[in-house]
Amino acid sequence: MKKALVGEIGRYAVHDGPGIRTTVFFKGCPLRCPWCHNPELIADRPEIAFFSDRCIGCGECRELCPEAALEVDKIARINRSRCSGCGLCVESCPTRALELVGRRYDVEELTSILLRDRLFYQASGGGVTLSGGEPTAQLAFCGKLLQRLHREGIHTAIETNGFFDWDKFEAICLPYLDLILFDVKIADSGRHREITGIGNEVILANLQRLLDARPDDVIARIPLIPGYTADQENITRLAALLKEFKVRRCSLLPYHPYGLAKAEKTRGKDNTLPQKPMNNRALHKWKRFFTDFDIVDP
Amino acid sequence: MTKITLDDISLKDFTLGNLPRLQELRRLSFARKPEICIERARYVTRYLRDKDDPTDSPEVRQARKVNYFLQRKRPVFHDHNLLAGSTTSKALGAPLFPEFFALTLWPELDTVSTRAKNPQKLTPDEARELNLEIFPYWMDKNVLELTRKRISNTESAQSLKLFESLVFFIAAKAGCISHAVPAYEAMLELGLSGLIDMASVREAAAFLLASDEGDRQADFYRAVQISLQGIIQYAEHLADEAVTLAGVADDPEVRQEFLDMAKVCQQVPAGPATTFREAVNAIWICQVGIHAENINMAMSPGRLDQILYPYYKRDMEAGRLDIGRAIELIGCLWLKIADNVTMVPEASEEMFGGAGTVPAITLGGVDADGEDAVNDLTYIMLRVTELLCIRDPNVNARYDYEKNSSDYCRRVSEVILNTKAVPAFFNDHANITALTGQGESIEHARDYAVIGCVELASSGRDYPASSSIMLNLAAPLEMALFCGKRPITGEEQIGPSTPDPATLNSFEEFWEVFKTQLDWLIEKAIELNEHMGAVHQQMMPSPLLSAFFEGPLDKGKDLVQGGSLYNSSGATHIAFADVVDSLNAIEQTVFIDKKYRFAELLQMVKADFAGAEGEKMRLYLKNRAPKYGTEHPLARKNARNIVGHLFNLYQSHTNYRGGLYRPAYWTMTNHAGLGKITGALPHGRKSGELFASGITPVSGAAPELTACLNAVAELGGECVPGCWALNIKYSPETDVEKMTERFAQTIEAYFRSGGQQVQFNIMTYEMLLDAKKHPEKYPELMVRVSGYSAYFKDLNELMKDELITRTMYDLANGKSVAYLPENGGKQ
Repeated sequence: MKKALVGEIGRYAVHDGPGIRTTVFFKGCPLRCPWCHNPELIADRPEIAFFSDRCIGCGECRELCPEAALEVDKIARINRSRCSGCGLCVESCPTRALELVGRRYDVEELTSILLRDRLFYQASGGGVTLSGGEPTAQLAFCGKLLQRLHREGIHTAIETNGFFDWDKFEAICLPYLDLILFDVKIADSGRHREITGIGNEVILANLQRLLDARPDDVIARIPLIPGYTADQENITRLAALLKEFKVRRCSLLPYHPYGLAKAEKTRGKDNTLPQKPMNNRALHKWKRFFTDFDIVDP
Repeated sequence: MTKITLDDISLKDFTLGNLPRLQELRRLSFARKPEICIERARYVTRYLRDKDDPTDSPEVRQARKVNYFLQRKRPVFHDHNLLAGSTTSKALGAPLFPEFFALTLWPELDTVSTRAKNPQKLTPDEARELNLEIFPYWMDKNVLELTRKRISNTESAQSLKLFESLVFFIAAKAGCISHAVPAYEAMLELGLSGLIDMASVREAAAFLLASDEGDRQADFYRAVQISLQGIIQYAEHLADEAVTLAGVADDPEVRQEFLDMAKVCQQVPAGPATTFREAVNAIWICQVGIHAENINMAMSPGRLDQILYPYYKRDMEAGRLDIGRAIELIGCLWLKIADNVTMVPEASEEMFGGAGTVPAITLGGVDADGEDAVNDLTYIMLRVTELLCIRDPNVNARYDYEKNSSDYCRRVSEVILNTKAVPAFFNDHANITALTGQGESIEHARDYAVIGCVELASSGRDYPASSSIMLNLAAPLEMALFCGKRPITGEEQIGPSTPDPATLNSFEEFWEVFKTQLDWLIEKAIELNEHMGAVHQQMMPSPLLSAFFEGPLDKGKDLVQGGSLYNSSGATHIAFADVVDSLNAIEQTVFIDKKYRFAELLQMVKADFAGAEGEKMRLYLKNRAPKYGTEHPLARKNARNIVGHLFNLYQSHTNYRGGLYRPAYWTMTNHAGLGKITGALPHGRKSGELFASGITPVSGAAPELTACLNAVAELGGECVPGCWALNIKYSPETDVEKMTERFAQTIEAYFRSGGQQVQFNIMTYEMLLDAKKHPEKYPELMVRVSGYSAYFKDLNELMKDELITRTMYDLANGKSVAYLPENGGKQ
């Protein structure tokens, strides 16, 4: 794979590993978690995001669209079934109401962008984090990128759902990774499949191998999602599992309705998730299940 | 070797609560209303009218004039400040300098006390004296009128006309040179008497030369002695008055305070300072003395943590001083420095409203050997700045990311977060490089201090007239667009008649046209500055200030004649970011994408983007053309080209003192005033919108913090010897400790990539909008303007809006936060 599909490059990221970092959000993910923070990054093709509040209804976009996928009444509307994600409309929009999510980068171009903030990494003990979507869905590219970054002396981290081919990951990514942030969501495989679309066998096996290989460099991250992961039974089982796997450090990610508004734009409304973020009291309650581990800030 | 003996560098145990004197003085400083003090105007006028001998040299005439005033200057004690001496006879006074713009007050004598915005009190008796005795004398004698006389009927007359229209450039010498950092070390060691002895010996030697040059030098040395004698006499009067007041004081504590002050003034500044307190008071009395000669604008005390350190150390080791007392004395000095404002006529409120006098103090950094210079006093002065949180002095922190500790960087960051505004941060590496690039020795460059807003000077070695020219870059841009004319001046052919841009075939051709207009305007501004410099040489030499510089006493030459070691002139630029973005928009949309024809763009710009098509074009230009403050290669190229071109152009000019011109990028409040009167520009800015401040990107144009800092930083170093003001606004966070850490790390990265200066406002859109709406709720809200601090309530409406709309970044994610005024600034 020469080029990777990247949804966003987030500079000055301070929650994706130590220090000030740049996070590369790869586009495309095999899982379908309803609470996903970045739902616009799930599909593995470029998409057009539409910001209705910026649209002035000028119609420039409609004139350029080769698929006739744009209708403009007072403001524009994208017919998603026609849109090919070519991005021609984006270039013409005077107000940036249309934005292309998903651009292809080769390793050199991406690296040159990532190196722009090298002095910020240096001053803060930061670096680069690969995230998504799911970075390991574009594993070969990740390997090359990580290798390149390591050659530059940049600290590297990955945020992964753990659903990858272990042998390849071990061979081409792991040697160039300083930190692995590994999501563990649901202990029961059946329920895992029911909610995310995929069972957890591969994920847990990968976590086990990773801990055997690099016990100090793994942080297990548990998203606390009311109605999905944050219930007594699941959390009890997860805590036991992590103990059995000899996890040393873990982070708890309290629920935030951050992804809801974004998801609405592409998938319609989800009424199963709360509108408010998890409060500190609830977070504290779940924290008590993880006294065996080093709890680190997400 | 560390010079830190403090257990806690943040000195948290010292608060206004346990420093009642400072608390009371601070309260007074906010309660006092400015009053115009005519004392100086009265005595210099009387002297010139009745006593002046025009056959004397300009230096001797100036010295006698200053001495005459200092002898008669009233010694007053307004409050319980521990330091003797005051800039004016009023508790918060605006001194009058009829040599400059004081006459603009003439039509406002009856209204200045009662005007709605920032009134300045003037008693009826004093107004009468100004009207009948003082102002009539000066009608044809101030710098501006003498310049007019000098160049009327010459080719230079146009330059004066351009200045007086106020929309091209400001020739600041009509109002002041000042802007300097004197060195007080020799004064503290030898006393003024020692300096006088030195001048006296050299005067005798110069006479022996038996030449015209020798006579000129002798005259200068004589002028130095006469003017310094004036300060000594003023100090003696202070001592006498303190003794008198002690005699009538009932409270024994107050009596003792006056006796102590009398004792201090009997020793200094005439004799060497023997204690920390004497050193502090000696510096203050000399500052007062300097303002008898030079107008109170950006006369900057410099590196006080270095200058005062030997006296602090000696007293601490001898057990004569403790930290609390040192804090109290430094606090008293800060409040004394803030005892004066400039006289501002109503018309100038628009341009400069709310500004203080911007005396800059510079802390930290490295010493002459390039080693860590941070000491206890650095932290004491930071603590005082944090506790007082007042507009003046303008406190600046130097930072060498290799030599200064990260504790120091964090502590400065913490003070900024706590005060929400000060100090400003200066990068030693980039600024020392900028000065060595000007031919200053490395030791001298390392001893730089900030002048006024942001300009740089090797302490007491650089006489840089750093605010000589303030040039509106949008003027030559408009002239390039409209064949040498500007919409605001109508059909008049101002600049060279360059080709209609619609006939050009490439952006390079337009760049040449722009440079033709720019170079022409700069030549005009320099031409006028040279004439005004010559007027200053005749009328306003500075023998008193010269005594506090390296060079004049060796060369026998006044500062204004080129007596200093370094003799540059400074030119600063307004609308830098707006002009870069306009060039970007033209290059990208007209010449690369060919989306618009130049004629079409010009037509829309002329029509202020009226109509639906105009608005569509405006939005496209605003949102989609490359922006300065991002890493777009075209934007980076155009920014670099302007900075590089200005550097080369200015450096090819030698001024009347034999030094080179230095470009800079700070704007005070001019970016608001000039923006208001400038037409639409090609980057989608509508007519009348405010310009961006200093070297700061246009509001909303730089969405990513790191990209913004990188884009600015790469311009830094050798090409910006006059330094710049970068304004960054952060939204406050609840976890101050975490924010401090990221804040300090971000500073370090910006400095490592070459940034010269940065200053902050830690506040939200919402809060500033509320402060505009309800000024009574924010009586003490202090903000950074462009190189100095002001109280928000004192700013004019335009500047308030500029402060409000400046891009705010969230330091938790490095992204700009959109400004949505319809939500009251709430997100």
